[in-house]
Amino acid sequence: MKEILQKFFKIDRRWIFLLLAIVLFTPIIRPIGLPNKTIARDTRNAYEALDKLPKGSFVLFSLDYDPSTRPELQPQATAVIRHAFRRDLRVGVVTYIAGSTGLIQQIFEKVPGEFKKVNGTDYAIFPYMANPTAVMTQMASDFYGIYDKDQDGKDARSLPVMKGIKSYKDMAMVVNITGTSILDSWVALVGDKYNVPLVAGVTAISQPGYGPYLQTGQLKGLIGGMKGAAEYESLIQEPGKGTSGIDSLNLGHLLVLALILTSNIILLVIRYL
Amino acid sequence: MKLIKKHIPLAIVVVTGLFTVASYYIPNKTSVDYLEMINKWENIVSAFAFLLGLISLFYSHFSKISRRTDGWGYSLFVFIGFAAMVVPAVLMHGKQMEAGQVTSLGWAFRSIYNPLSATMFAVLAFYIVSTAYRSFRIKSGQALVLFVAAFILILGKVPLGQIVWDKALGWTHYGVDQVIEWIMSVPAVAGKRGIMIGISIGTVVTSLKIIFGIERQYMGKD
Repeated sequence: MKEILQKFFKIDRRWIFLLLAIVLFTPIIRPIGLPNKTIARDTRNAYEALDKLPKGSFVLFSLDYDPSTRPELQPQATAVIRHAFRRDLRVGVVTYIAGSTGLIQQIFEKVPGEFKKVNGTDYAIFPYMANPTAVMTQMASDFYGIYDKDQDGKDARSLPVMKGIKSYKDMAMVVNITGTSILDSWVALVGDKYNVPLVAGVTAISQPGYGPYLQTGQLKGLIGGMKGAAEYESLIQEPGKGTSGIDSLNLGHLLVLALILTSNIILLVIRYL
Repeated sequence: MKLIKKHIPLAIVVVTGLFTVASYYIPNKTSVDYLEMINKWENIVSAFAFLLGLISLFYSHFSKISRRTDGWGYSLFVFIGFAAMVVPAVLMHGKQMEAGQVTSLGWAFRSIYNPLSATMFAVLAFYIVSTAYRSFRIKSGQALVLFVAAFILILGKVPLGQIVWDKALGWTHYGVDQVIEWIMSVPAVAGKRGIMIGISIGTVVTSLKIIFGIERQYMGKD
């Protein structure tokens, strides 16, 4: 008995890889469609903070993630931008991650058309900038000192969407969706210093680290991981990639738990029986 | 020689460091102008540092290829990958879409960079699951606390876990979301706050040591 268990304990890791692959791919091919029963308080707060803004308010989106965290963060960004367009908010998009530019492009190829929003009039996308802390600090006094043109090379000052926007004090909110520590800079250099309401979306793994900012009100709301994206999608009643990815997440998470429990039970049996 | 190699760099660090710190606490036009100037300088220095890094990377991989050291074939992909993204970016002036059509840069992003970057990260999931099976041992009280917290968090993060919780522990009248909120708002925040305060104090101390010339390793050995 012990020998069999020991063999099982030292199983070739490729079997575990295969098991995980099956668990992840099966629901993609044949979705289970389990309902998302709860909505986290922080996701709801993020939704409500954006929902309360008056029509025509300017919201600056800082979308700082690359394809490695795309499955979690792209559905979040898509859902929040859909919400902003539905509420007729003006949208400006910046990024400090070079790999994010293509992902932003993919969102704006599709979403504005759903709400008949026009580039330059209802939204503007600005080019990638390096050195986020320097850019954030400089935007405080003159936005156009950094972004004098949008990504298509049009004069930023003359865009209708930018009317009346000169610095943070003219913005109703900053939304930062990121898989990096750029959010800390937004909190310290912009949110706290210039009193700009800040909402964020982060990966599930980094979500617990932002608890202190939520308790102090430095963050008005926080969307965490793919579940957060699914929650936001259910709040705006537009199921998207977050909702469809939740089945794989379901089974993947439960597999991890099952494996940890199994290995520890085997260890106990080997040691004490 | 000592003046050029030691005293002048130290003086630059002391003056710049003190002015930069002070300008954050003195809100007037001069300090804002000063910060903007420093930011511009920072951008210029960063650009040169990036260029230096790129030259160093190319030199290191070129010498691997020319000496045919072990794994030199992988070094070829540094140049291939660089060319695959940079050449279309230069040709298309950084535009991924033009007149509603995906440009060669857009294609390179979607068909090369996107899948490669996602694959690198996705592979991690397989190693994490395998490592969880092999290495997560509940051998002590602390490990048990860690496991229980992780168990509840993982369970509560997915709808299927919430269903399992309701079936098994519904009689307690505590939803898994309530338990998670408590874990996240009390022990997790307390731990994170301690770490943040520790890091901040360490950063302040190190910065002061550099500004006042106590820490001089950045100046090299001479």
